[in-house]
Amino acid sequence: MNINRRSFLKGLGGALALPLLESFSVGSIPTKVPTRFLVVGNPLGMHPEHFFPSAFGKDFTMSKTLESLGWLKDRTTILSHTDHGMVSGHGREVAFLNGILPENSIAYPEKNISIDQLIARRTGSSVRFPSIHTALERGIRMSWNSNGVEIKPYTDPQKLFDKLFLNLTTEQRKTRRELIERNGSILDAVGDQLSSLKRNGTKTDKERLDQYETSVRELEGSFSDRANWIDKDKPTYDISDHFKSFEVTVENRYNAIFDMIGYAFQTDLTRVATVAFPNELSYTDVDGVTRGYHACTHNGKDEKVIAELVAIESFQIAQLSRCLLKLDAIQEPNAEGSMLDHTVVLFGSGMGYGGTHSNRNLPIMVAGGGFKHLGHVDTRSSAGKNMPLCNLYVTLQQRFGIESDKFNTSTGSFQFRNA
Amino acid sequence: MRRLFITTILSAILTAHISIQANPALMETHCAKCHNDDKLKGDFSLSHLGSSPSDENAFLWEDSLDYVTLEEMPPPEKSELTAVDRELITSYLTQRVREYHEGDNQPLRIKPRRLNNRELANSVRDVLMIEDVGTHQPTANLLGDTLEDGFDTNGDALGLSEFHLEQYIESLRKIVDATIHSGEKPETKTYLVSSDKLKVTNLSQRPREEKANRTDESIDILDIRLNAYFENFDVVPYSGKYRIKIRAAGIDRGIYAAEETGIYPNDPIQLRIQLGDRKHDFDLRDNKVTEIELEEWISADTRVLLSHHTDGLRMKGNGNFKFQYRIAHDYLKENNKELYGRVVREEVPLAKFRSTAPSHWVHWTSYWQGPRPRLYSAEVKGPIYESWPPKRQIALVGKNPSVANTEKILAPIAERAWRRELHEGELDAIVGLVQSNAEKLGTIEALKEGIVAIMVSPSFLLINPEDGDPADRFATKFSYFLKSTTPDERILSYARKGRLDDFRSVRSEVRRQFRKTEAEEFLKEFPHAWLQLDRINFMAPDPDHFPLYNRKRLSEDMVEEALAFFSHAIEENIPVTEFLSADYSFINADLAQVYEVDEVPRDSKLRKYRFKDGRRGGLLGMGAFLTLTADSLGTSPIHRAIYVMENLLGIHPNPPPADVKIEEPDIRQAKTIKEILSAHASDENCASCHRSIDPYGYAFENFDPVGAWRDAYTMQIAPRPSEAKLKEIETEDARLDSLGLPPLPRPWENEPIPVDATEQFRNGTSYKDIIEYRKLMLTDGNRDRFVRCFISKLLTYANGVEPDNYWEIEKILAKSAENNYQIIETIAAVVDSPLFREE
Repeated sequence: MNINRRSFLKGLGGALALPLLESFSVGSIPTKVPTRFLVVGNPLGMHPEHFFPSAFGKDFTMSKTLESLGWLKDRTTILSHTDHGMVSGHGREVAFLNGILPENSIAYPEKNISIDQLIARRTGSSVRFPSIHTALERGIRMSWNSNGVEIKPYTDPQKLFDKLFLNLTTEQRKTRRELIERNGSILDAVGDQLSSLKRNGTKTDKERLDQYETSVRELEGSFSDRANWIDKDKPTYDISDHFKSFEVTVENRYNAIFDMIGYAFQTDLTRVATVAFPNELSYTDVDGVTRGYHACTHNGKDEKVIAELVAIESFQIAQLSRCLLKLDAIQEPNAEGSMLDHTVVLFGSGMGYGGTHSNRNLPIMVAGGGFKHLGHVDTRSSAGKNMPLCNLYVTLQQRFGIESDKFNTSTGSFQFRNA
Repeated sequence: MRRLFITTILSAILTAHISIQANPALMETHCAKCHNDDKLKGDFSLSHLGSSPSDENAFLWEDSLDYVTLEEMPPPEKSELTAVDRELITSYLTQRVREYHEGDNQPLRIKPRRLNNRELANSVRDVLMIEDVGTHQPTANLLGDTLEDGFDTNGDALGLSEFHLEQYIESLRKIVDATIHSGEKPETKTYLVSSDKLKVTNLSQRPREEKANRTDESIDILDIRLNAYFENFDVVPYSGKYRIKIRAAGIDRGIYAAEETGIYPNDPIQLRIQLGDRKHDFDLRDNKVTEIELEEWISADTRVLLSHHTDGLRMKGNGNFKFQYRIAHDYLKENNKELYGRVVREEVPLAKFRSTAPSHWVHWTSYWQGPRPRLYSAEVKGPIYESWPPKRQIALVGKNPSVANTEKILAPIAERAWRRELHEGELDAIVGLVQSNAEKLGTIEALKEGIVAIMVSPSFLLINPEDGDPADRFATKFSYFLKSTTPDERILSYARKGRLDDFRSVRSEVRRQFRKTEAEEFLKEFPHAWLQLDRINFMAPDPDHFPLYNRKRLSEDMVEEALAFFSHAIEENIPVTEFLSADYSFINADLAQVYEVDEVPRDSKLRKYRFKDGRRGGLLGMGAFLTLTADSLGTSPIHRAIYVMENLLGIHPNPPPADVKIEEPDIRQAKTIKEILSAHASDENCASCHRSIDPYGYAFENFDPVGAWRDAYTMQIAPRPSEAKLKEIETEDARLDSLGLPPLPRPWENEPIPVDATEQFRNGTSYKDIIEYRKLMLTDGNRDRFVRCFISKLLTYANGVEPDNYWEIEKILAKSAENNYQIIETIAAVVDSPLFREE
């Protein structure tokens, strides 16, 4: 089958237009059905009265903010009363996906590695991109690698498109291969110089030189992985519709991002993706919003301003809902259920609610992923203590076959079935 | 009068024979009542001190010394400690602290740290001997640096990963490629840009409807968000020198009132020429066409963009430019009734999509007469090279390099990059790299690989990663401290010749660096980090309540004010203490509106201004400080207190316990912040710390979230709701009442609550307003704390880690005091200290 024949394929179509998984194109048929991980987060939490449903259990009414996800109610778990055990205030939201602040990461062998990166390491070797990170204009410091360094997201949909779908010409492939080789030689030369440096290195501290050396080694590994992918064609995708529109709004930029991620999942370009809603972004395109996002969280309980905040938060959820609806319309190849049933979706924030700077009750929602969902859950222990959010991450990592019952600051795991 | 802390130290040294046994007993008597293992007031028990200071608890000894010296402990209301006994306790503590630090034989070595992004850009610039890294924004792909307490030099926060490394290679390649050329000399061309070739576009660079007033001979930049560009020269084709001439004028200044446009009558209309990160602002002549000319090196792929640079034209609506067209409506209605009537009769009714209200902005776009640049034509000539290869390339690799000379060519580059002499055979691997590439890539391209490798090396990317020649290490630190870049030949040779070995020579070099304006980076970056100016818009004041702040970009003026004060301090070599005591600052017409002062010329230029009310001047009255410590709607005395303590006095209060419940401020309540924070006084858990914290902040309550003066809180007063809404509220109240619940708040009935800015410090002194507070900040004790904190911040900036050697800081403080705390001498004392020299 000639992969180029699919070049007219448009959008996230139905089953008829189902594209091939990327791995087909190089002749290997996947024996296992892939599980994917989609994280959507914001840095300012959610207005609690509008986010959390009023009743617990499976029989609850979707809250105002989550209204657009009503269709997914039976495949959703909303977790009340989770936290990372942190004092309130700004700056803790960077611990959303790891439970560890950067300044404390030194105490952990893998620093403050975030759950998406841990999972990407597991799923990454069989796909072109171990993980994809996106935001508009600016990231919110959500993903961290095992060196304790934050991973910079793509902030321009056009650049994301180029990375994901733009095929290289023969000439470009040659140049790219040469560049990888040349960069590899530079690392070799620098590595040699480094050894001589280490002999003369400062006696009192080798830690930072070691960090440098690790980086060189990991980059070399990454180069060799990338060289393998250069000759393979990427799936074709037409996103021009999103860029044609006269007005470039926050909404159609997010649409573009979510659609590309959906398609990247569909074609198995990647299995881990994150989307961030930064606080500096101007949401004035959204109906009824005139203030900055961050300013809205400090509303002094002014109803007018709260309404703007809830409009922004509902907008974020609506974008997610639109993406999930599309994933749910696609039959998972070689397996029962829709693609959404094989995609673990995590929505949340490392801050509970910006208005109080409280980090005690984080807004957390899990959808899809084939879990037996529980509706709205009070995760507090019988003694009334909040559940560490890392307990949920233990469950998520196990879903991806990582056989460990600990993740960073976890004290146990979260049971989807029995709770 | 309280004794100088310096004299306390000296007397401690002189009276070292005093029995140190007696004083632990004194402390037991006066401190242990509250600070015992059961009560643990302020989380502290005397037993934490052990028998002598250790690595773990030295800071507790130092804090204790501070508290007792400043008479904050024991609290005056609970203690009868005599002056003699206080002296005995401070002598004892001083003695033990000194013994501890002097007995510490650990070398004062700072861990190597990675260059931050601005140091990287400066260093690459100087290694390659070019003006900047280039206008093609080659470092835009680098990961942003994480700030730690405002500092971008913190070694722990500056991580390094394979991701960083790859981005470095990518950036460095782009810079080297724009500097060294291997092909034929590109042809020099002249591009004539007639007015029809002048186009206007929005920021996303997508073509859109032309929004400009165009005539046969000119085009106006109407909207402040739009850029003009040259259609026949929109992207620079080759890196090289270009000569750009633009004929332009400023038009229609003064037609609309300054209050409407937000543009002051004395401010020129400015044309901004943007070349990547490089920006030039030119003052245009009013109604007179003049020619702007610039000639500089521009990198390939740079877009040349022209725009109207102003902080005005955002006064209407939500600040979006389109709403400014209402000014045209108002103006015509008042001044040209005939034209106004015609538009209302003939054009307004034809509007298809928008409102037919005559005042709607959409009807007036073609009648706009706001101040704006008018462009007539332009000419671009380039690339121009004085020679081929270009001079900068010859300086780096020679006119016609050969592979055989690789080592000779690369050695000086590596020495500049690595800030030291090379070790024997150290370049072999990189020379090998060049040689192995030469056949395939050609000599020049192969040499570029070598140059990139030199700058990917840890010897370049890390500061002082090895125990090398102490002179080179010092030169490197000194240069990164003042200039954020690799040391130049002068600094290196001075260090190597021992001409920077003592206080006097360091002082004269520091002075010279400032005089020759070579330390501009320090002048900008250090105050930025120290005062945490990056935080100013983290929680920006609410646009509805503080419209001027958002519409006139006051945050920029406020940051400039702080930087101008700092530059003034260096220029005049004032005592550091004047940051707190000054009755002056640097303000322009925008800031004058916030500070409510007259007699300021109506323009945007910052000028020295002396305040007469005793409330402002120096750091404590600055909008930057008062705004960055406030929330968007309200102020927090705690935030301001913590800021003053941590950044100005060097006191680090304990963070609140993890389970503390923070009440969300509710502006609908008729409560003052003092009432909301009443738990700080009533709950003993909170009070033991907050009694020490809160007094540092309450004095600023008279300053609102943008730093403007207020005598009363008015924020809690809401407009009266509609009658229908009132009925609903009454119904709800009746329901609540039947349940025994209190009625809903009625914020429109609230009275303004007077500000209470009085408070008492731990040591018993009190103030009734900011004027008295400012005087208390000038006591000898607080002066020493401030100077010590300043010293500590300088060392944090230089070392990338906070200093913890109390004793050496005291010595710097003594040196500063000897010199009347003058700022240059204080900086020199820091540089001359073992804490900087790492010896």
